[in-house]
Amino acid sequence: MSSYYCLFKRFFKTGMLLLGGGYVILPLLKEEIAQKFDGITDDDICEYYSISQCLPGLIAINTAGFVGYKLMGIRGAICAVTGLVMPAFLAIILLAELFLNVADNDVVKSIFAGVGLGVITLVFQAINEVMEKSVTDKFSFIVFLCAFTALIGFKISPVYVVITGLIFGIILGLWRVER
Amino acid sequence: MIYFHLFLQFFHIGIFSFGGGYATLPFLYDISEKFGWYTINELNNMLAVASITPGPVGINMATFAGFKTAGILGSFLATFAIILPSVIFVILISKFLNRFCSNIYVKSVISVLKPLGCGLLTAVGVNLFIEEFLSGNFNLFNFIFFIILVLISFFKKFPTVFYLGISAFWGLLLYLI
Repeated sequence: MSSYYCLFKRFFKTGMLLLGGGYVILPLLKEEIAQKFDGITDDDICEYYSISQCLPGLIAINTAGFVGYKLMGIRGAICAVTGLVMPAFLAIILLAELFLNVADNDVVKSIFAGVGLGVITLVFQAINEVMEKSVTDKFSFIVFLCAFTALIGFKISPVYVVITGLIFGIILGLWRVER
Repeated sequence: MIYFHLFLQFFHIGIFSFGGGYATLPFLYDISEKFGWYTINELNNMLAVASITPGPVGINMATFAGFKTAGILGSFLATFAIILPSVIFVILISKFLNRFCSNIYVKSVISVLKPLGCGLLTAVGVNLFIEEFLSGNFNLFNFIFFIILVLISFFKKFPTVFYLGISAFWGLLLYLI
């Protein structure tokens, strides 16, 4: 029991430090987990991080799950994920009430009108980064264009776009095996 | 019934969002349009709040949407729903970890889903741009400020707080003058 609690506590701390998106999880886990627990190394964490990118869901959550599983099995995975998510959950619960109350204030409104521009900038920056990594040849460009058009031109739900992509990917795999 | 829908929608995000971080955005905007649990404007505001609070943006948004729609229980359900697929996948895959990423089917699916996710995110970016500048009043000052911010972001990597801080100050400045 106490070791589960210890794992939870460590991941809770990691979750508190996880500011500005999930990408900083890698250095944080090395520092907070690999150095504090026997049975897990920096290399393990790097491997889990890269596998997490091949999986659906949030990368930080997946990585935490793998680390927890490696250390203490299924219960460990659950403790790690719960610990990591808890600070995010509590922060928003506390802020949401406040946020919904002050949202009508004129000053707050104009500040958030400005912040809206910053948010769009962050989205554009993310697009720029993801584009460099994922759109690298003719094939990926065509897939990119199809997904883009499906969402913006035809307003197809992203869920269906991803399902179509999944099926197409499996067919592509079958075709590659055949050859 | 609202609880069931909340759970289902965020469970979808957990299963189908791919690539982490901003990959949840296309789904979150889609939910806003279809269910109206929060407005696009609120989502943008929350995105800013999420960037300066702990945790991945997807979790923050799930908690907020759940809270706004159905209180504490709603926020718990939505957050639980978005992480549940991750936990299931991790437990299933841990058994044959080494073979997973080198599997030809997994490789093929990923080679499709990576640019696909990028396409979805780009569509969201373009929609946000249209919403901000091309529908309603066009504000030239805002537009110039935005272009400068984007150019900065392309050439130099600043932490997210920089963009949010400077644009919050810009909003305040426009209010004061």
